[in-house]
Amino acid sequence: MALSVRSWVANEGGKHFVLLLWLGGNTWLFMRTFLCYYYGQQYHYLHKMLGLGLCISRASASVLNLNCCLVLLPMCRTLLTCLRGSHRVTSRKARRLLDKSKTFHVACGVAICVFSAVHVSAHLANIVNFSVRYSEDFPSLNVARYKGEDPRLIILTTGITGVLLVLILFLMFTASSYCIRVSNYEIFWHTHNLFVVFYVILMLHVLGGALKYQTNIEAHPPGCLRANQSSPDPTREESGQALGDGRSCKEEARFQPNSPETWLWVSGPLCLYCAERLYRYIRSNSPVTIVTVVRHPCDVIELRMLKKDFKAHPGQYIVLNCPSVSSFENHPFTLTACPTEKKETFGIHLRVVGDWTERFAELLLPDPRAESEILPMVQQRRYPKLHVDGPFGSPSEEVFNYEVSLCVAGGIGVTPFACVLHTLLDGWRRFRLRRLYFVWVCRELQSFYWFAELLCALHRKLWQENIPDYLNLQLYVSQTDGLQNIPEERYQPLSSRLLIGRPRWKLLFEEIGKTNKHKRVGVFCCGPKGISRTLHRLCNSDRYSGTTFEFNKESFS
Amino acid sequence: MGKIEWAMWANEQALASGLILLTGGIVGVAGQFRDWQFAAYAVAAGVFVCLLEYPRGKRNKGTSVERTGQYCFTVCVKSFGPLTRNYYVRAFIHAGICVPGGFMLATILGCVCLGIASLIYLAAAIRGEHWEPILPRKDSARKPVADSINRPPQNPPPRPPAEMRRKRAEDLEGAAYVNPIPVTANE
Repeated sequence: MALSVRSWVANEGGKHFVLLLWLGGNTWLFMRTFLCYYYGQQYHYLHKMLGLGLCISRASASVLNLNCCLVLLPMCRTLLTCLRGSHRVTSRKARRLLDKSKTFHVACGVAICVFSAVHVSAHLANIVNFSVRYSEDFPSLNVARYKGEDPRLIILTTGITGVLLVLILFLMFTASSYCIRVSNYEIFWHTHNLFVVFYVILMLHVLGGALKYQTNIEAHPPGCLRANQSSPDPTREESGQALGDGRSCKEEARFQPNSPETWLWVSGPLCLYCAERLYRYIRSNSPVTIVTVVRHPCDVIELRMLKKDFKAHPGQYIVLNCPSVSSFENHPFTLTACPTEKKETFGIHLRVVGDWTERFAELLLPDPRAESEILPMVQQRRYPKLHVDGPFGSPSEEVFNYEVSLCVAGGIGVTPFACVLHTLLDGWRRFRLRRLYFVWVCRELQSFYWFAELLCALHRKLWQENIPDYLNLQLYVSQTDGLQNIPEERYQPLSSRLLIGRPRWKLLFEEIGKTNKHKRVGVFCCGPKGISRTLHRLCNSDRYSGTTFEFNKESFS
Repeated sequence: MGKIEWAMWANEQALASGLILLTGGIVGVAGQFRDWQFAAYAVAAGVFVCLLEYPRGKRNKGTSVERTGQYCFTVCVKSFGPLTRNYYVRAFIHAGICVPGGFMLATILGCVCLGIASLIYLAAAIRGEHWEPILPRKDSARKPVADSINRPPQNPPPRPPAEMRRKRAEDLEGAAYVNPIPVTANE
């Protein structure tokens, strides 16, 4: 399928623009620092001693400053949620960029690793040069204590902070691969929390003052003749123009360490992030009451909770922490019901898949088989204590801001859209949305019972208000050897829209394109990678009668 | 909460350390620094560590994600049997390999990183983990044709056998029976 330039620009343009800006900033900073050290008069003697290693190490250090500053900003989730929520401040294009905040964080992290490697290699070369080219003329410039000092000793004495930084970075980087995040999230989380130690040691690292600049250039132009030297330096020409040809120096060269500027870059974002973590901790300490627990088919449990001063928009997610299950684990769940004026409770649907959810489900709903042996008694249900952090923004909040939206859900990925449907049930007129295509693909038929009531209620309401084409529902059962019919009469709207097999996305896109010509359709996907990749590709191709499809993906981790 | 598999993290670390050792070794040999023989050793050691660590082991619970093209490496590593299965052996091998890297500046980083990986492998071995190869599944997961086509239902629906159903002319009253499930025209 041919790529359409217009669709590609609409979908990918913003991201690539920010990427180019970031790469440009890094390149400019690298070149500027490199040239400063290469041609700068105040570094003339140091450059002669160390060579190219000086310029490369300082240039990569300045790029590291920039990236260590930027890497923390995308992780200030509360701040990003506020930015997303304030519609007057940011346009939709900027809000779509916020969807990619985790990708930007990863990009900055990778840049930190790469430039650390460059920085370390350059400094290793510097250390060898400090040892081999020990300068008798300018003793204060030296880092080695004597000529030919073992470079490894120099590393252990002067460079110990650097060694610790590299080790912490190694631990963080190896624990961040996709495989480890999916299987052992705790290793990733705890090693990543070492960032505090990393930043503290980074501030100490720049105080080392190993590299010095010359303070008295006017009085002692670099390369000038000295009283006890017979000839000027023969390597003068390579290191740039030396001003003092043939002139004698008025005084000795004086050197002073560079003033550290890392704290200027890093302290702002670090304070912001620490403030945000503190705020989230305080906010999650307020008590949460569990109001209802309902068991649904296919291992899904619905939980309804109440918390004071909790406000949320449809599409947002919360993070749950249950100390009785595990003190350190935090798990995100999308809200399926937001608090409204009429109803203050909010709800989530959670699927019992891993060990945390299994244990949590056991605490909420005791095993029904065990109860049959006990005489039925009315017991006071003691629910476990729960901490709720959030709500945090997600791409699905934009569903209401398009005139036409296509929501594709895979299995339990229907949860953000369930919240959207609940909100539409309360009132659809105040939103810009005028048509919603809802495609829900499940493996088993019983999964549709999670929201069967909600879908039928919305369908009925829209029929009664004479806008039956507002909601276009398509349900797919992808496994063909299970139940294939919804027999209940009250769910008849669903059974007549049930299709067996996988959806044919191209045909769906063509149909939506033909019936909504020259409009901008928002495509929202929350489901397995295969579906989201296919949809992304289709959004970037060009066969849809002038309709632009903008792709928004909800990511799970 | 659940069991953490330390071996997976140790595997990532060992692979990264192998690459760092290899790079340091190449730089050391290319620059012909003093003690470049250690750098040459580091190149060989780095390649060996990468080959040993490239195939990922199987997870105890859950789906295991393979690295691209790791099947041939899995077969090679599996053929060493208990030497590669046991993580104590791996921990000591890595600890032994990393020591000569500490003698040269270019390879010192690889040495330290491999040492850390060796410690994590030791922790994994103490917790009783071992390496399982990821092999492709032999049987197909789902049969293409449903079983019911080959095996017709064994029990007939709830109705009396054919002899009783056949209406005998002499005994019309006795041939009648009551349907156990009510049948209506439209459900």
